[in-house]
Amino acid sequence: MNRDTLVSFEGVVKRFGSFVAVQRMDFEIRKGEFLAIMGSSGCGKTTTLRMLAGLEAPTEGTIRLSGKPINHLPTWERDTPMVWQSLALFPFLNVRENVEFALKMRGVGKAERRRRAEQWLDRMQILEFAERNIAQLSGGQRQRVALARSLVVEPEILLLDEPLSALDAALKVRMQSVLKNLQRETGITFVYVTHSQSEAFSMADRVVIMSRGRIEQIGTPQEIYGTPRTRFVADFLGSSNIFSGKVTQSGSTGLEVATRDGAFRLSGSVPHLPQSGEEATITVLDTKTNLSVTPPEGNLNVVPVRVIGEEFVGATATIYTETDTGHEIKVQKSHDELASLPVGAGQRLYASWSPADSHLVGAA
Amino acid sequence: MPRRVSLYSLTFSLPLLIWQLLFFVFPLVFLVALSFWTVKNFAMRPDFDGVNWVTMYGRAVFWQAYGTTFALAASAAILTSVLAFPCSYAIAFKLSESARRWAIFLMVIPFFTSYLVRVYSWQIFLSDRGIINVVLGWVGLGPFGMLNTVGATMVGYMTLAFPLVVLLQLFSLVFIDRSLIEAAHNMRCGRLRTVFEVVIPSARVGLTIAALFCFILTFGDFVSPVYLGGGDPTTLSILITDTTKSGQQWPRAAVIALTMIATLLVVAFVTVRFAYKGRSK
Repeated sequence: MNRDTLVSFEGVVKRFGSFVAVQRMDFEIRKGEFLAIMGSSGCGKTTTLRMLAGLEAPTEGTIRLSGKPINHLPTWERDTPMVWQSLALFPFLNVRENVEFALKMRGVGKAERRRRAEQWLDRMQILEFAERNIAQLSGGQRQRVALARSLVVEPEILLLDEPLSALDAALKVRMQSVLKNLQRETGITFVYVTHSQSEAFSMADRVVIMSRGRIEQIGTPQEIYGTPRTRFVADFLGSSNIFSGKVTQSGSTGLEVATRDGAFRLSGSVPHLPQSGEEATITVLDTKTNLSVTPPEGNLNVVPVRVIGEEFVGATATIYTETDTGHEIKVQKSHDELASLPVGAGQRLYASWSPADSHLVGAA
Repeated sequence: MPRRVSLYSLTFSLPLLIWQLLFFVFPLVFLVALSFWTVKNFAMRPDFDGVNWVTMYGRAVFWQAYGTTFALAASAAILTSVLAFPCSYAIAFKLSESARRWAIFLMVIPFFTSYLVRVYSWQIFLSDRGIINVVLGWVGLGPFGMLNTVGATMVGYMTLAFPLVVLLQLFSLVFIDRSLIEAAHNMRCGRLRTVFEVVIPSARVGLTIAALFCFILTFGDFVSPVYLGGGDPTTLSILITDTTKSGQQWPRAAVIALTMIATLLVVAFVTVRFAYKGRSK
């Protein structure tokens, strides 16, 4: 166990009756990091967080906080404050009383309570609303109250369960930077559960991607985006073109995979070298894929495609094409790069990418 | 823009309006008028004389009964609420969905039988040679005089109000956001403390309304203080019957009834204000 480890999950399993919410989970949370746990609904991410908070007990395995097993500790004996998706602010208390609540439960004196609560209200820029009712606050202000309420006890770790999901897009982006700065300044370990890729990737130091109760991949946002380890991750992120087929050549310089759309080469390092004849799935980022009117020169993987649609988001455009077998290939480019390319629906083009930009992923 | 009353809305609101006029407003107005009538030689005469109000309000026995009734109803409201709370809490938080439905069903069953019948059956339990004293006698205890006491009156009041108070409390408890309770636990608030710090404040409106209903039901109740309390101490409901029986003093009974209505209106108003205090919706 690493000295930097704050929390470790060791073979943690959670079952609800016959339903397995989390299956054999092993991972560590480092001191002072911003960790995002991401996945679609029902993947077990919230259950994982609730087990850490002590709101659910693991069926098997051990969860350690600072090296000590905490499985048996009820939530009120742990210092794992959580921010709820609903925020769970007490509507019968005003803003100040909400923030003071945790201090009151710890037996902190009245004057000290008030001082510390005001300090955090000030830091979250909501001191002027201290005497207001929760119902009188806007969504963003409530968010700040919820954060102040959890952080006022100055914990080592803060758990956040999709706290931004109720906010509108602009406010969401603003709160993301508030959260990130807060985490950086305080050095408190944040564990942030979300289904939103943009939230996870913009704030987190490391991201855990979960699916059906299992961890698919843990890594920095760059690692996960650049080299998705499993087909699920590649699919989930939606920024890769994915091809499956049989390995026809395998060697130290790379391999060749025969797919329904042709044979594609892959070079560079691969986690494990599959044998000829094995099933393999390769991915290539949509930003690393090119389109051209004529077949491009050089050592590239090329496949003829037909344009089926386009989508503009800000400065970039995504061109959706399909191969003769109906397999979708998307290409993301800036408007400038696409200016000279005819991309009307039905247009025949060639999609191409370098063998060095392809990645081999696990079959799962 | 003149507001036109549509035939559609009239069709649905008119029966209610007529009902209210016929059976509430009109009798109330009549009661007010009646309280100013006079009685001569056991015969009532339409009049406009404040003598009934002066007489009743000048009598110690009236104020004694008023104090007794108010205290009994207030005690019943508090006692019933306190005893009902663990029950409704358990149903709301400890039972499964299907068990909760059964519990609610069981709470409705008492309303199937007449309250009078249920009070009479309590006599069988509480009388000197009743079931409880017989059972206690087997272990060499008693007999205890339980019937015709204030305690027996309370039992009767609870027979009347307990299931309703549980139901009203229950409906406010089941709507508490569970994450509030988890959040309290998460902030080092233990189980019992959470009940006082979070559950009760969250359900304050429902709990107060439940207690108010108990007060309203018991304040005007005649059955329990007579058949279980033995008519002693005298409550306002008993005083009304006594007044009407003695010398046809219906106008004086009207004074008592109007005082009771006024009291309930004030209590209800103050209670509802208290329940919603500090809430801005």
